[in-house]
Amino acid sequence: MLPVAIDAMGGDDAPAPNLAGAHAAVADGIPVVLVGPADLAGRDGANGVLDLIEASEVIGMHDDPAGGVRKKKDSTLVRAAEAVRDGKASAMISAGNTGATMAAALLRMGRIKGVKRPAIATPIPVPGSTPTVLLDAGANAEVQADWLVQFAQMGSIFAHHRFDIENPRVGLLSIGEEATKGDSLRKETNELLANTPGINFIGNIEGRDIMTDEVDVCVTDGFTGNVVLKTLEGGMKTVISALLEAFDAPEYKEHADALMPALLPLYTALSPDTYGGAILLGVDGVCIIAHGSSSADAMRNGIGVARDMVEHDITAEITAAIAATRS
Amino acid sequence: MSANKIERDEILQIVRDSLSDILEIEPGTISEGQSFVDDLDADSLALIELVEALEEKVGERAGDFRIEDEDLEDLKTVRDAVDYVFENAND
Repeated sequence: MLPVAIDAMGGDDAPAPNLAGAHAAVADGIPVVLVGPADLAGRDGANGVLDLIEASEVIGMHDDPAGGVRKKKDSTLVRAAEAVRDGKASAMISAGNTGATMAAALLRMGRIKGVKRPAIATPIPVPGSTPTVLLDAGANAEVQADWLVQFAQMGSIFAHHRFDIENPRVGLLSIGEEATKGDSLRKETNELLANTPGINFIGNIEGRDIMTDEVDVCVTDGFTGNVVLKTLEGGMKTVISALLEAFDAPEYKEHADALMPALLPLYTALSPDTYGGAILLGVDGVCIIAHGSSSADAMRNGIGVARDMVEHDITAEITAAIAATRS
Repeated sequence: MSANKIERDEILQIVRDSLSDILEIEPGTISEGQSFVDDLDADSLALIELVEALEEKVGERAGDFRIEDEDLEDLKTVRDAVDYVFENAND
């Protein structure tokens, strides 16, 4: 397969975790190409030098997304998206500015024909089960009912291939399980989803259902989705910190050490690094949006997800599903 | 023979076709008086998609053409965009 293009300069601690993740991915047998400045080779560590697409500019974490893409045409993000568009890379991944990653992918790779708006799909960990795919996690603050139906279609295809779920259960996030609960957007969307073939729609779900095995794909607008995502991330971080602090007390240390073998796998399951980031669905190619604070492990996992989605040809499957419901 | 490199009607058609592709709506439903944001539900990314599409398509017809970023906030309606392109592509 063609290499996965890695935005070497994206992320809070770039380029170190991106380079380490890239080398780890190569060790996993995944071809990669770095996108970064010409002198990156000199910083490429002791593990050998990876292929490089040169890009002299970086779109910063706080730059205006669309403006950054228009002004910085030789940026790592733009060049990575162009590499996919031009058939030099099979997919792209960045831990940089999320909005700019989305803008670069949309403007350079293009939108799949018929897709109203791309959406960001993020796996939410579920202890003891496969994650729940949450979309939209922030691409579209305001949406329409037919966009949400497309999010359901795209999220189902992603959940099927990413987590090997045969017929993913789709829930519409609302404030009550009954179809009549929620605002006018949710009510209209509920009816549309119930009447769209090919979607295993189980009805409305509530926030408390997201981290359970009751649902596989949680569909919502990007504003709500982003609030949900950040709330869960912050909540989990707080709970884990509180637990670790309690375990650290001398009187509990012996008991805490005994519990660790049971708790560590849970910690891994709840860590964002495990899933390697989100995917931008609806653009004409595979684009992985990694967390800004991604570690080398997170990048490695994200590159692995990119490879898997390319091998499953998820873009072609979404194209076919959208075309089928348009005709 | 016209003195213009590209006529206004042709620009309107390019704007309509581009918006139709970007917003997934019928070209016939797009009129000059419509606001991109209020009437057509175009978000900021959709507007940038439109700008890039216009630069490419108008550039192919009338030679190198660019919409300056500082002018973008003045382009609020379909008519604004058509007038801007007509004026600047025929300079």
